[in-house]
Amino acid sequence: MIRLERLTFTYAGASAPALQDVTLEIPAGAFVLLAGPSGAGKSTLLRCLNGLVPHFSGGTLRGRISVFGHDPAGEGPLALSRVVGFVFQNPEAQFVLDRVEDEVAFALENLAVPPAEMRARVTEALDLAGLTPLRDRLLETLSGGEKQRVAIAAALALRPRVLALDEPTSQLDPQSAEEVLEALVRLNRELGLTVVLAEHRLERVLPYATQMVYLPAPAAPLLSGPPRQVLPHVPDVPPVVALGRTLGWDPLPLTVAESRIAYRVSLIAYRVSPVACRRLQRADRRRGRGLGERRSTLRNRRHVTRNTQHVTRNTQHATRNTRHATRNTQHATRDTRLTLRGLCFRYDQTPVLRDVSLEVAAGELVVLMGRNGAGKTTLLKCIVGLLRPQAGMIALDGEPLVGRETADICRCVGYLPQLPDDLLFADTVAEELAVTLHNHGLLDRPPIAPDELLARLGLAELASAYPRDLSVGQRQRVALGAVTVTAPSLLLLDEPTRGMDYAAKAELLRLLRSWQAEGTGVLLVTHDVELAAQAADRVVLIEEGRVCADGTPAQVLTSSPGFAPQISQLFPGRGWLSVEDVLRGWETACR
Amino acid sequence: MPDARLWLLWALTTLLAATAARNPLYLFLLLLVVLLVGVTTAPAGRRRAALLPLRFAALAVPFAALFNGLTAHLGDTVLCRLPAWLPLLGGPVTLESLAYGAINGLALTVILGAFTALNQTVPVRELVRLAPRAFHEAGVVLAIALTLLPQTAQAVARIRQAQAVRGHRLRGLRDWLPIYLPLLVSGLERALALAEAMVARGYGAVSERAQPLPLRALLTMGLLGLSGGWLTWLFVPNRAGIAAGTMVAGGALLVGAMVIAGRSTRRTSYRPRRWGIRETMVVLGCGLALAAALTGHPSLAYAPYPRLSWPPFDPLVGLGLLGLLTPALVNGSGSEGR
Repeated sequence: MIRLERLTFTYAGASAPALQDVTLEIPAGAFVLLAGPSGAGKSTLLRCLNGLVPHFSGGTLRGRISVFGHDPAGEGPLALSRVVGFVFQNPEAQFVLDRVEDEVAFALENLAVPPAEMRARVTEALDLAGLTPLRDRLLETLSGGEKQRVAIAAALALRPRVLALDEPTSQLDPQSAEEVLEALVRLNRELGLTVVLAEHRLERVLPYATQMVYLPAPAAPLLSGPPRQVLPHVPDVPPVVALGRTLGWDPLPLTVAESRIAYRVSLIAYRVSPVACRRLQRADRRRGRGLGERRSTLRNRRHVTRNTQHVTRNTQHATRNTRHATRNTQHATRDTRLTLRGLCFRYDQTPVLRDVSLEVAAGELVVLMGRNGAGKTTLLKCIVGLLRPQAGMIALDGEPLVGRETADICRCVGYLPQLPDDLLFADTVAEELAVTLHNHGLLDRPPIAPDELLARLGLAELASAYPRDLSVGQRQRVALGAVTVTAPSLLLLDEPTRGMDYAAKAELLRLLRSWQAEGTGVLLVTHDVELAAQAADRVVLIEEGRVCADGTPAQVLTSSPGFAPQISQLFPGRGWLSVEDVLRGWETACR
Repeated sequence: MPDARLWLLWALTTLLAATAARNPLYLFLLLLVVLLVGVTTAPAGRRRAALLPLRFAALAVPFAALFNGLTAHLGDTVLCRLPAWLPLLGGPVTLESLAYGAINGLALTVILGAFTALNQTVPVRELVRLAPRAFHEAGVVLAIALTLLPQTAQAVARIRQAQAVRGHRLRGLRDWLPIYLPLLVSGLERALALAEAMVARGYGAVSERAQPLPLRALLTMGLLGLSGGWLTWLFVPNRAGIAAGTMVAGGALLVGAMVIAGRSTRRTSYRPRRWGIRETMVVLGCGLALAAALTGHPSLAYAPYPRLSWPPFDPLVGLGLLGLLTPALVNGSGSEGR
């Protein structure tokens, strides 16, 4: 049992506490999802469990913590390392050695565990994390998911009673994230290990969580309980939960499978429950529709639900056709910003890109998806000239780019790499923009006034702040400002939402939309299927360096099981990707 | 042969043999041995790298021959003469001096070959683990530093790319600032993250307690003895015997302190070193080569001066040097990666 009583923690030099008056109980064997916006104190809370806070971080801690009878604040992280295994966000940042087995054994060697017992424990930990076939491999040869499972195995070798994980899947593609979560569920169910996991993408963890702890803001009172009790009070929830909340499904579904059942039940319930109709009405009102306009629709819904199977099938065709027609028209009328033809790239003798062809039109947002190592980042690097393709053509607004210098290309192409911190070095946010302008010789005649751009990025008040002191989302926007201050006609973004909370993602999306409206083409690389479903005009799926699907989100995401958003899994074959699509689809059917 | 100690012994023996021998026939033999060992024991995928010494030889042998030929004007077979007013270079260029330079280049190639094989087969971390237990903490720090080096090189490349997309061009030293600053900050962040991860995994849990007083006293006395003896030897005439005795006593106290400190450092190893027939054979092979190289056999110290002649070859010495082939002979799979 983990018990926190009136826990308050303030970092050294901070004006306000990061955690205030936190009281929480976690029973042994629980699978706890720790959620909340960035900066709400999730990582701090996790680090309180093994004594890293306050022993490693410094700061002032008040209140009591008990972790299976141990006092982390009193005993410190070294003593607690045998009780709480800790897994960090970036597995590579925590590796000491270079081989799977050695890395798992490292902590045991330091604790002077006898060799025979050590071998048994390493074998057990590798087995539990599903890594036995990889035990001799070098860490650098593993995929992201495998590396994170090595980090989990390294923590398990100490036979802890609690496993605390700080956003362990934030840098992984959906399949790798699933591998990691499956390993955790196995440990939780088979060994009774208590798992406490902080995560932004709730849809990944909700299916497994037995308890949810939501931290709404720094120092704000937390919510704790079974997910179904907590979720109604959480502002940003996964699509199936949002749909369930909108339609008043009770019990609230947490997974696609539960939503399917809830949906079937609701088909019957609509016939008998006026409450459901009232909820639909409220949902419509929230979306800004007039009540009078809706009344007839709501009346008709009873009829519609009786014939759902038939009607939705028609709806699906109608929706898909409408989307197609709209997008094709837009595509035909827009100028092509980026053209790639037959692009090939090899690292040494290993082909990474094979005959890649795609286009991005002006004002179009194309999402590029694929597993880790599929060649997405390589493709972006080839476009901006950081890598020289061995074959193929790249053109921006009809002008060939191959052979031009990166600095020259990036005056017209904004490229945001995966780690925005690599871009930032100036003393203030405003200076970051000035540095880019200076590099391009545009300091005297900036294409966009830097102040205007900062205001647009929501950074006007932070113009004199030190960039590295800002939050993940804010740093990402500073980096975005640094690469877009030249007013590029094409934007390339490499996983810009890693580690971002829902609010930061929404803010980024708003910005992208405004650039799109001005004719900027956007090529966005992401693993976030819900973001792709929400933002993309077109989705390109890349696998082992080849484009294996290119089409509308409805076409591509619904036909690729690994990349299907929750709504399309719930309503397969209908072309719906978001809650809005569902409501709109039903509305069309009602007409 | 995964034991780093044996590889170190083999490399040092090869180094000694290559240094002792100036007979090109023995040096050729040593080069063949080193290449064969390198190729057979290198992990799969790195076998081509084991032939790197040949590329080195293609440069080193002619360069050393030319350098020696132009600077050492000895030998009877004059090939040409350079004007006497040329400092250092002026004088006859002889076949013998060219040959002697080439022999030196060959010796360098053998040494490089031995350390290439060592580098290919034994991870640096394994060598660091050879440090006495008393220096375990320092060994871990060094091992991590070695891991961080390639990571830092990757970070430099990544940050250079990130700055290039902002229009940054590297022209002079000042242009390194946008690369150096993010590198420094990200390096510090990475170090902190690693330290936090290591603490969370119990690193340092068994070495928290302070060193006991007798051990500290032993260390202090040892250091005092060593430095006192040295100062006596430097500044007090006719007391060399006392000085040497004090230094030896100080050194012994220090070694004793390290042994005690090593015993008090509780640490186990996941890959304990095992001694078997293969290991014994490698030691015997190295011993044989060492004996051949250090016997002072006249055929080892071949000199082409004053007139170039065919070098002598003693089959017994050659056979002894072939003892260095044992790592290749006892190597099991040779496919293990690093």
